[in-house]
Amino acid sequence: MTTVLLVDDEKLIQRSLEKTLLRAGFDVLTASDCKSGSEVFSKNAGEVNIAVLDLNMPGFDGMPKTGAGFDLLDDLKKKKADLPVVILTAYDEVSRAKDAASHGASAFFVKGREQGLVELIQKILNEK
Amino acid sequence: MTNDIQRHATLLKAAARAAKNITTILDPYELFQRTVDIICDEFGFYYAGVFLLDDKKQYAVLRAGRGEAGKAMITEGHKLVIGGNSMIGASIANRQGRIALDVGHEAVFFENPHLPKTRSEMALPLIVGDDVIGALTVQSTEEAAFHDEDIAALQTMADQLAIAIQNSNLHRQAERRSRLLKAANRVGKEVTSILDLEKLLPQTVNIICESYGLYYAGVFLLDEKGEYAILRAGYGKAGKAMVAEGHKLKVGTDSMIGACIAMGEARIALDVGEERVHFKNPHLPHTRSEMALPLVYGGKAVGAVTIQSSEERAFSEDDITTLLTMAEHLAVAINNARLIDELKEAHNEILRNKVFEALTTASTEAIHWIGNKTLPISLTVARLREEIADGKVDVESLKEDLDMISESAAQIIQVKEQLIGAVREMKPRPVLFADVLRTAASERNISENALKVDIAPAAAYVIADSTQLTRALGNILQNAAEAGAKSVKVSVHPTEERGLLEIEIEDDGAGMDEETMRKAWSPFYTTRGVSHHGLGLPAAMHVVSQSQGRIALVSEQGKGTTVAMYLPRGVVNNSQVQVGGVKNLLLIDDNDDWSNLFAELLKDSKIKLTKSVDLKNIPATDLILVDENIASVSLTDVLSALSTAGLAAKTVILTSAINPERVTKFLRNGVKDVTVKPYSASEVSELLK
Repeated sequence: MTTVLLVDDEKLIQRSLEKTLLRAGFDVLTASDCKSGSEVFSKNAGEVNIAVLDLNMPGFDGMPKTGAGFDLLDDLKKKKADLPVVILTAYDEVSRAKDAASHGASAFFVKGREQGLVELIQKILNEK
Repeated sequence: MTNDIQRHATLLKAAARAAKNITTILDPYELFQRTVDIICDEFGFYYAGVFLLDDKKQYAVLRAGRGEAGKAMITEGHKLVIGGNSMIGASIANRQGRIALDVGHEAVFFENPHLPKTRSEMALPLIVGDDVIGALTVQSTEEAAFHDEDIAALQTMADQLAIAIQNSNLHRQAERRSRLLKAANRVGKEVTSILDLEKLLPQTVNIICESYGLYYAGVFLLDEKGEYAILRAGYGKAGKAMVAEGHKLKVGTDSMIGACIAMGEARIALDVGEERVHFKNPHLPHTRSEMALPLVYGGKAVGAVTIQSSEERAFSEDDITTLLTMAEHLAVAINNARLIDELKEAHNEILRNKVFEALTTASTEAIHWIGNKTLPISLTVARLREEIADGKVDVESLKEDLDMISESAAQIIQVKEQLIGAVREMKPRPVLFADVLRTAASERNISENALKVDIAPAAAYVIADSTQLTRALGNILQNAAEAGAKSVKVSVHPTEERGLLEIEIEDDGAGMDEETMRKAWSPFYTTRGVSHHGLGLPAAMHVVSQSQGRIALVSEQGKGTTVAMYLPRGVVNNSQVQVGGVKNLLLIDDNDDWSNLFAELLKDSKIKLTKSVDLKNIPATDLILVDENIASVSLTDVLSALSTAGLAAKTVILTSAINPERVTKFLRNGVKDVTVKPYSASEVSELLK
């Protein structure tokens, strides 16, 4: 069974993505900020195959932060260097995508642009 | 012999009287004309005339002559060569008086057709110090009227006349200098107070022409390359026409303006002799003298001023000093105006950058916001389609999906409300601030205990649309609550700026860092995530600026935020309320600021007002007013009680923030009307009508 760690502070997006991923046959672990995301991962490090992280959400101090997703990405990579991570964002900015790549993200997914998140996750896991 | 002595004595007396009269005249034109009249009258001569030397001292030019003959000769430009055959020319050349008598061979002199009766003439040089300045001619109809010894007697008078001419010239110069200095002073004072270049230059040419009494003035400014002087303003129609034609002159020696800029010094052209060539501008046919003055600031020529007179020799080298002072003032004024222009341009540049930054931030935030709000909808719809296609629809999951779609849509609709609110019609009027604040707090579920309100009596009313102000205040209060504020201080007091109130809303919430504060005014920018649209502050700013006010924000992370709104102070004239047909009135409301005001306004009227929130004992009245915002009892209960008692048709709901959806809802419940709360006697009269 493939497990996805999904971290997004937008309640509706989190739930909607969770349902989509569940329906596609994944197991899904959810969190709403960096701190809880990190904790959920630590507890289930062995099971999580891929993380999908929102870019802008509350950081480790609980305050909203631009680019907080990168902090969590760094944290997760420290714990598991080969963990594939997809960064979710509403901004389709090239510079942000480059930032994501430099942090070691496997993909940069722009919200609202395409619906192929499931296919993207499957592709990343197949390539691994 | 006795006769000769008597005649000589008479001449001496006449000379003394004439001299006395002449020396009292200071005006040069009056001096010349009256001199010839005084001489003829005192001596009983047929004719007298005054000649003055021209600039080059080649000719003696007639400046005044007795009677019609004198006028005719002046019109003809009568002049005589110095040292020629004429009596005048000879007397000037020899610096001596001469006599010609119509006897014997000297009869040849008397052939002037204007003076046919002359039989004797005396020409006397006008001498001041070592300089001959002209000559005086006196003529008689008698033969041999003058003797050699008479020359000395009349020369004394001529000397007095020469001094009088000299004095008059000095007086004229002093007077002219004083007038020019005054004018220069006025021009300097007036032009330096004008800071708009487009106004400065046209006004300068008007001021110069009016102050100096000139025919024309124009201001040229150098183009960017410094190649051409471009006419930027000119006096009168001629000036306007030339500015419209784009009149410009090359810097260099081809024109007076060009030369004065190139050489950095004033130039003068006078309409005498060969210099006439300068005056050929078809727009300025009457110019006879011109002066060009460079405009120099910081050692650099920025342009030039031309001043032109319809009089010949209107300017002298002496004038240059005073006029250069004026030009210096003008150059300073032009520089000031340019600096202001540059500052304005810099300000606009900053503004453009700020607007661009705001738009960029707004667009970025809008993209983020729209992405986040619409993604759940599209994701859910896609998933549902797949489930339907697979024939595996789970009812519970379907319900949840529908809820998610519905919630996302609701958030999008909320944004629509904020955007629509800003474009709703504004009806600014004096509103009771305390009441609007109370409504705003109540609408956003903010406890009255969290508010510390301090309103100065002189600041009770602000000019605003009550609905819009309620929304703006509500947005600010909601921001405070969402920033975790435990208490919000609201203080309203008059400012030093006349007619303006300061409304300070200070919270003890989380505060903002500098970047957040900078972006706070951008639409869709929010730090509060998910359920926020980031339109609260921009909408408040819109409302305040629509009310001719302004809004500012100060915040410190960890300490809280203060929003300061500046709005015009409202003044109400609480005259007697006109009650119409209403005798008994029930007001269902708490004992709040507005209900107290309402009771106060009705105090001296004939209406019996009952204020109550007791729904079990509703008294019989002509009219029932219900405050939409009552703290102690729910509006639903009030409306239900009134409906049950059959009193809905007598009920008017009053609100400080009117909303079309709620109006429709209340009217469907059967109430008589829903309207905005009255805050003045005239508004209460209007309500009761």
